[in-house]
Amino acid sequence: MSAPAILPARGAADRLTGVFWRRPNLLLLILVTPPLLWLGVVYLGSLAALLLQSFYSIDEFSGVVKEEFTLKTYAELFRAQNLDIILRTVVMAAAVTLACAILAFPIAYFAARYARGPWKAAFYLGVMLPLWSSYLVKVYAWKLILAKEGVLTWAASGTGTGFLIDGILSIPGLEGSSLSTSPFGTFLVFVYIWLPYMILPMQAALERVPNSMLEASADLGATRGQTFRTVILPLAMPGVIAGSIFTFSLTLGDYIIPQIVGNSSRFIGLAVYQLQGTAGNIPLAAAFAVVPIVIMLIYLTLAKRAGAFDAL
Amino acid sequence: MTAAVEFQNVSRHFGSVRAVDGVDLTIAEGSFFAMLGPSGSGKTTCLRLISGFEKPTSGTIRIFGEDVSSVPPHLRNVNTVFQDYALFPHMNVRDNVAYGLMVKGMGRAQRHAKAEEMLALVKLSGYGDRKPAQLSGGQRQRVALARALVNEPRVLLLDEPLGALDLKLREAMQDELKALQHKLGLTFVFVTHDQHEALSMADHLAVFNEGKIAQIGTPQDIYDRPATRFVADFVGSSNVLPPELTRALGGPPQWASLRPEATKLAATGPVSGPVTALRYLGSGTRVVIRAGETEIAALVPAGEPVPAEGEIRAIAFAPQALHLMGEA
Repeated sequence: MSAPAILPARGAADRLTGVFWRRPNLLLLILVTPPLLWLGVVYLGSLAALLLQSFYSIDEFSGVVKEEFTLKTYAELFRAQNLDIILRTVVMAAAVTLACAILAFPIAYFAARYARGPWKAAFYLGVMLPLWSSYLVKVYAWKLILAKEGVLTWAASGTGTGFLIDGILSIPGLEGSSLSTSPFGTFLVFVYIWLPYMILPMQAALERVPNSMLEASADLGATRGQTFRTVILPLAMPGVIAGSIFTFSLTLGDYIIPQIVGNSSRFIGLAVYQLQGTAGNIPLAAAFAVVPIVIMLIYLTLAKRAGAFDAL
Repeated sequence: MTAAVEFQNVSRHFGSVRAVDGVDLTIAEGSFFAMLGPSGSGKTTCLRLISGFEKPTSGTIRIFGEDVSSVPPHLRNVNTVFQDYALFPHMNVRDNVAYGLMVKGMGRAQRHAKAEEMLALVKLSGYGDRKPAQLSGGQRQRVALARALVNEPRVLLLDEPLGALDLKLREAMQDELKALQHKLGLTFVFVTHDQHEALSMADHLAVFNEGKIAQIGTPQDIYDRPATRFVADFVGSSNVLPPELTRALGGPPQWASLRPEATKLAATGPVSGPVTALRYLGSGTRVVIRAGETEIAALVPAGEPVPAEGEIRAIAFAPQALHLMGEA
């Protein structure tokens, strides 16, 4: 006797697979419903609540939130001290992103184009390892490294390069008694903490550029620099943008690093933290929280217009 | 006349792997030269040695008489059509074709005009604004060709250029490439593992085996008079006869090749055996006879009687059809 043309279902799993085959969208629906609910209710819902709060205002005498629509709170953002916070945060985020991009590129390029086998493993380990330890521990460790009695100052005085640190600390805007109390210290710690988030998407983007494309460029007469500008960079751009979204928005929102390292001048995250906590000014905290969202939207629009996603 | 490309005892070793091992090669200017061989035989490495993406471990490579040992790829006036075409996905077809001119600093209007000229040459006028992703495989192939030709190279290198195309398109492109080469009078060096492609397109070819050139010559030389067993095996559907069979057929005890077209079937003869396979080819039938350990194919022209499987037949041929060759 020959085998039957149709095999009998062995149980529930076979029947369920049959149901999914007859209704292909069912499986998709089951898979995406929980995350969509999460995204829709928890994430977008809280974002809407935040937006709503930002259109309320606070009664200056009683400190009670008045639940009436007003743009007064947004107008407050444009007060000199608040504008100062926004500007400082954006400049810091931009500087951190730029530094991360410049530092990350050679690492990502090496990992994507040259690292094989154990070197690749070493790369992933090296990039991910810092993420395994607590964020706070790392920030405090940096505070110690950058402190006046810290290893950096010690090494600088030992090698006679202390003038470099003194030079940085004398630049207007970066003043401080040591790197750990200078905005430059804040910058260094931000760069260190967010660097992995720039390296990984960059490496993923570079990995997808076939070697033959670089060879084609050289074959057609391009120098290394021309190949970099006209082929590698445009093709890696989606990764650079993805990484910069991380570093930029994470810096925009962080409120711990500026508290621990630096001269305690306020950043957006810190302002939100203090406004909703000690000051109890939820509407202004909400308005502040909207700023990074708006900045990111502007940033992405500009990036899209510049053709950063053409290679996607 | 200067040779377009000349290899003098060139080797390229990767660790202990001798990808290219002591190759001597001269490619005449204006020829359509094929490098044929199985994968890993060194043919692609040889092409990359010409373009400069590989450096020889030892030996000298000359392009139009000039030693290129220390010349980087971007300064060699040779261009490559890559196997995967390697078109830049973020540029449209026109910018892809004009790329070589752009990096040389030619102005936009001028290079775009030149690119259009090239696109017309490969019959893709009007496709300039499209992205490579919007083209079919055959069209991408033409763009890659136009992009390589725009620089007016002295030598055009083609790395398995037709490998990714389907049969019909491949045959059409074979004719076009040949016509293009004729029209431009350029030296084409082209790598393939497809014997038919190499034989039909090239005017000279080198057969590679394990990093060495097994034979170099015209397609007729290679097909009719393979120098070694390997060449006979690889290039043709030729019958390869071991020494004892050659002797049984009246030759010296040497390896020999015998083309199926030259092989006839007879009722009796010194070498005979059962028919083990029949393949109808339209123009005739390929009949395989098993003589001891060796299978011998004969081509029976259409209209002549074809034996059934299992029938015993002997082989016959004109004495000059038997070609003796070396062992390796």
